[in-house]
Amino acid sequence: MFCIIAFIVLSIIGIFNVSYRELAKEAYECVFRRITFRPCNTGFKEKMQAKLVGKLLTKSVAAARFLNKHFELLAWLLFITTVASIFWTGKGLFNFYMYGSCNGLNKSGFCALDPKGENNKVSQTGGSCGTGEGDESKVTLKGVDLSLFPSQKTDSKDEVVLIGCYSCDYTRKAYPLVKQLISENKVNYTFAHYPVKEETLYLLPIGYCAYKQDPDKFWQLNDKLFASEKSDIAKKEFVDTILKDIGYDVEAINSCSTSPETNSAVVDRRIQLEKTSVYGTPLVFINGKGLVGPKPYRVYERILKGWRFW
Amino acid sequence: MNTHRQDFPLLRDCKVVYFDNACQTLRPKQVIEAINEYYQDYPACGGRSMHHLAAKVTHKCEEARSIISTFLHAKRKEEIVFTRNTTEGINLVAHSLGLKAGDIVIISDKEHNSNLIPWQVLRDKIGIEYKIIYSKEDNTFDLEAYKQALNNRVKLVSLGFTSNLDGVTIPANEIITLAHKAGALVLLDGAQAVPHRKIDVQDLDVDFLAFSGHKMLGPSGTGVLYGKYSLLTKLDPFMVGGDTVASSTYETHEFLPPPEKFEAGLQDYAGIIGLGAAVNYLNTIGFEFIEQQEQMLNKYITTELKTISGLKIIGPSDPKERGGICSFYIPGKDHHQIALMLDETSKIMIRSGQHCVHSWFYAHQIPGSVRASVYFYNTMNEAEVFIRELKKVVSIL
Ligand SMILES: Cc1ncc(COP(=O)(O)O)c(C=O)c1O
Repeated sequence: MFCIIAFIVLSIIGIFNVSYRELAKEAYECVFRRITFRPCNTGFKEKMQAKLVGKLLTKSVAAARFLNKHFELLAWLLFITTVASIFWTGKGLFNFYMYGSCNGLNKSGFCALDPKGENNKVSQTGGSCGTGEGDESKVTLKGVDLSLFPSQKTDSKDEVVLIGCYSCDYTRKAYPLVKQLISENKVNYTFAHYPVKEETLYLLPIGYCAYKQDPDKFWQLNDKLFASEKSDIAKKEFVDTILKDIGYDVEAINSCSTSPETNSAVVDRRIQLEKTSVYGTPLVFINGKGLVGPKPYRVYERILKGWRFW
Repeated sequence: MNTHRQDFPLLRDCKVVYFDNACQTLRPKQVIEAINEYYQDYPACGGRSMHHLAAKVTHKCEEARSIISTFLHAKRKEEIVFTRNTTEGINLVAHSLGLKAGDIVIISDKEHNSNLIPWQVLRDKIGIEYKIIYSKEDNTFDLEAYKQALNNRVKLVSLGFTSNLDGVTIPANEIITLAHKAGALVLLDGAQAVPHRKIDVQDLDVDFLAFSGHKMLGPSGTGVLYGKYSLLTKLDPFMVGGDTVASSTYETHEFLPPPEKFEAGLQDYAGIIGLGAAVNYLNTIGFEFIEQQEQMLNKYITTELKTISGLKIIGPSDPKERGGICSFYIPGKDHHQIALMLDETSKIMIRSGQHCVHSWFYAHQIPGSVRASVYFYNTMNEAEVFIRELKKVVSIL
């Protein structure tokens, strides 16, 4: 049994350290009974035990005695620890690949593959940007009336929803990826502005009115807002020129945006968005699965395509 | 300070404590240089070719033969046959002596496999018999039992001169005299004897003596079979081919006289020349010093080992009777573990296991032993380190 444990442990260490490969090979041979316990040859376990205990003996007699006495048990503990760490490493790698975070979907704990946690950063709904600490398991589209929001419909069953904030870095990071996703795949796409910062609150009614006036041009407006400087889009005059450039009737939009009807429409939409339990932007739903924070493109694509991705 | 240590590269800066001399000794620089010289300056065939390099090889090999012949006090250098090791020497005699079904070979209960398996094979192949002389209580040779065993069917007495198991040396003179009286020949396995004491083959009147070069400062895979010339001429070579014949036709061949007829194929020239250098070196050291040094170290080691509770020394308790060998075991403590740990903690090289004398260990129901074997270049300091570390290891096992 010890051979098997040693073989697994040594093989793993051997990946990184050449000097352990020979021992791993010996353990392998031992496993397959090529090393028999002939009297002229000591067994692999005895050899390893003597080596380790001997090493320790130069440091501490008591520790060496302890190791020698409980060698089998300690070997088992080491084995279990190793297996557990392999499992967690594997899980971490899997999660990072699948969700862009070692810890699983939308989990923001430390991840060696994404040490700064970029894939989980969100602009918190409280207003400041940072690592989202909301309850990612609660984000949902259940009961949310998506028909109220700007959308591009196709005959596909796949659905991508982006809830983002024009002036937030992380939504800006996710936006081109979502665009790439919807251009490369036939999907129904819905966009909702969720202003986590005061300065883009005014874009809610403007967006509502612009979409009402010309839904096609709305997507150009979206692109431009995300492409412009954050400080610029905080200024109404700047946004007016964008609207004008696209060909919108700026006057009409301005008067629409201050109307009570628009006001109540904006509130309605906000109520719908709150139902998603959004705690930070960007929040991307792909076929109902919520992803908080800007994920690597492969994560979006994999979730959209499901098994077809492999 | 033991000045000879400077000649041994491994010992110069005390990198290891080498106590596995019964397996192989270390080599002094003189031997290494002799080997290098062959490969660098005259790496040619001996005996066959006519050019001057070949002549030099032949000359150097014959010189080595002469050195060894003088070392053993042989009558003539042609009594020295080069082999690869003791095992080959014993096999040569076993297979060339012309033993027949019913012939008896006497051996002891402590023989190395090299002096047991050949007789088992001949028993199975041609029906010889072998008789085992069991040692006395203290593992020394039982001369009385031996006398009882001798009879006219005994054709050969084949005994380990000094045992690698416990270092005990047999009373060879008496054994040989008795054997000759009974009409038997005597082959001595000198692997552990020739490196450690002065041997005079004429004085002993031994018929054959096999030993290994690597246990006496020589290169690995070198050995010698000494045989009385008159006997060697009667022996059929057991390995034949190139260099063993004076000439051949498609139908016939004419063997060369000894020793060539036993040295089939191209020889290990570098090894033979190195062995010559090793014997030269041993001559300068002298057996008086070698024995004195071994006894001093073994006395200290034995005295200290006796203080370890439960430890049992194999063989007589008096170290004087065990040369440079101290073989011991501690019931319940694994001999391999002890050896491995000593290597790990202080680079102490000792042998553990059954030392290729499985038969004795099985018969005595002892799993194995740890064997420390010293040589003249070992020091008291090393012996002290060995004892100190051994006590530490034993205390935790
Ligand atoms: C007493 C004895 N005989 C024979 C041998 C075999 O020697 P070799 O392996 O050199 O043939 C040894 C080696 O340890 C030995 O100690």
